Amino acid sequence: MNEPIATAGVMTLVGVLLAISVLFSRAAGRAGLPLAFVFVLVGMLAGTDGVGKLAFDDYALSFRLGTVALVIILFDGGLNTTLTSVRAGLAPATVLATLGVVLMAGAMGGAAHLLGLPWPQALLLGAIVSSTDAAAVFAVLRGSGLHLKQRVGVTLELESGLNDPMAVILTMALTQLVATGEAPTWRLGLDVLVQLGVGLAAGLGFGWLGQVVLRRARLPAAGLYPVLTLSLAAVAFGVPTLFNGSGFLAVYVAGALVGHETGRYRTGLLRVHDAMAWLSQVGMFLLLGLLATPSRLPAVANLGLGLGFVAALVVRPLVVWLCLVPFRFSMKERAYLGFVGLRGAVPIVLATFPVLAGAPGAQGLFDAVFFIVLVNAFVPGAFVGGLTRRLGLQTSAPPPPPAVMELTSTHILDGDVMSFFVRPQSAVAGATLAELGLPETSVVTLIMREGRLLAPRGNTRLEPGDYVSVFAPKENVSELHLLFGDAQGD
Amino acid sequence: MRLSYQPPTMPIAEFLKVEAVTPAMSATTKPEVLHELARALARAWPEVSVERFLHVLEEREKLGSTGMEKGVAIPHGRLAELPTLIACFGVSREGVDFEARDGRPSQFFFALVAPENSAGLHLKALSRLSRLFRSDALKENILSAGDAATVHALLLQEDAKA
Repeated sequence: MNEPIATAGVMTLVGVLLAISVLFSRAAGRAGLPLAFVFVLVGMLAGTDGVGKLAFDDYALSFRLGTVALVIILFDGGLNTTLTSVRAGLAPATVLATLGVVLMAGAMGGAAHLLGLPWPQALLLGAIVSSTDAAAVFAVLRGSGLHLKQRVGVTLELESGLNDPMAVILTMALTQLVATGEAPTWRLGLDVLVQLGVGLAAGLGFGWLGQVVLRRARLPAAGLYPVLTLSLAAVAFGVPTLFNGSGFLAVYVAGALVGHETGRYRTGLLRVHDAMAWLSQVGMFLLLGLLATPSRLPAVANLGLGLGFVAALVVRPLVVWLCLVPFRFSMKERAYLGFVGLRGAVPIVLATFPVLAGAPGAQGLFDAVFFIVLVNAFVPGAFVGGLTRRLGLQTSAPPPPPAVMELTSTHILDGDVMSFFVRPQSAVAGATLAELGLPETSVVTLIMREGRLLAPRGNTRLEPGDYVSVFAPKENVSELHLLFGDAQGD
Repeated sequence: MRLSYQPPTMPIAEFLKVEAVTPAMSATTKPEVLHELARALARAWPEVSVERFLHVLEEREKLGSTGMEKGVAIPHGRLAELPTLIACFGVSREGVDFEARDGRPSQFFFALVAPENSAGLHLKALSRLSRLFRSDALKENILSAGDAATVHALLLQEDAKA
């Protein structure tokens, strides 16, 4: 086809598919269907055997797009990781992300072997599906208005950010085994350590560099800051990967450091990355749907579905239980963490490795991964909201405010406007603003009550249900939390 | 617009009795800490049951931990049946994971329960306490003090400087 017709055709298609996926997401949410499921479905409908008849099977392009998507998702995850959460959840998350991934891969490999795959392929399949994707969990939770209790949520979040590198390393090594027949030696263990070490060092280095640059840079337009952070993400992935390091670990760590620096003061920047991460998620699942060939699926349906349920209901809960033995979690929390092990974009990208490497049986593995991801997005996704409520693991998060006040700035400021929701049990409920006794450097800037905006005056009384915007420099933040409770978005 | 800033007025001496000070808490988890504090509050004000105090403290924790930075936590709430502000203070030698903002263990627990219609009083006491504990010297002295009377005296002494 001649240009620009070809490009225009691709753009139209991509646009229509994305729009349909996104527009359907609301209806899916109401019906309790996980979003990922809808996106995959749209992709399948558009694909080879669907109404769209798009014969898309470019695994090389999928790998590239998938890697870019993963980098964007991980960087966004890093940006939203707070220092508090790192302190609270780092130890259990690290164990889950390393030992947990190896155990998961091994056990899934064993299960796949029992179901008839030869050992090398079975282990490779195990490695491909060994890492979780919390982005999917949080999408479900946010949709149902639930907030997880701090330590549980933080552990899930950190685990999902940290476990991809391990899954990638295992998949690469096993792909080589299947493709060339070379068994991995003790060097694999060493290689894992080197990859993680180099990745961590690069992540810390680029994260620090990002902090310095963001602190110093004076860009002429606010829109240029996200360009800077995106470029940082690309480099933080690229450089360590070129030097035998885990770029995925590096980009997550760099994101966390940069997020700590910009903190809550760069709402715009976070919003851009949030949108990019969503685009990546939607894109990945669409791609999975497009790549899947429904007419080929029945051949591996038993294997895939079987393994999918084994992963969701047996292996993941057991592995989590084992990994968390040294940590103080209640039985309920252990069970919950074990159940919520959603698989998302990562296995899809990983499943293209063996296909690209020309490993024997790789196509079958890809089809099996399709089922495993679907089951592990669908089963926990559909029940996670109800389960969170039943186990009493949610903190009752208020509905999102009808409007939010925020500072927009091209400079880094040492203060921000925080938004609080007033609950009956909050210390400020029933008090007039004059009675708040806020530190002299803070002030209430706006009150939202029943959808109306109120100008804050000294005699204005705060009522349960109010949304209150408060300007606060950094040093007042903890006192405000004491008076109001957690801020919106905490 | 600017709100006039009113300095907190009620000194700690008026609502913290020496009997309500626990220099070495036995609790090792967040729920245990809340229990121990509720028992101390009920000792200070026996007309209200331990369960009532516990409930009010737990309800507030649901909005987010009252564990602040550097080992200080100020659990609080309001109760209709109280005629006046009631407080207790406890020290955990080992520190307890109280889900504090900085992720560090909490050691100094100042629990405060105010009457229902006294938002102003309650808030001023909270502000005053959160600023009181900015002093690292106070925390060191409390940790090296052995008995309730000394801890109580240290708190009042630091408060008098405000």
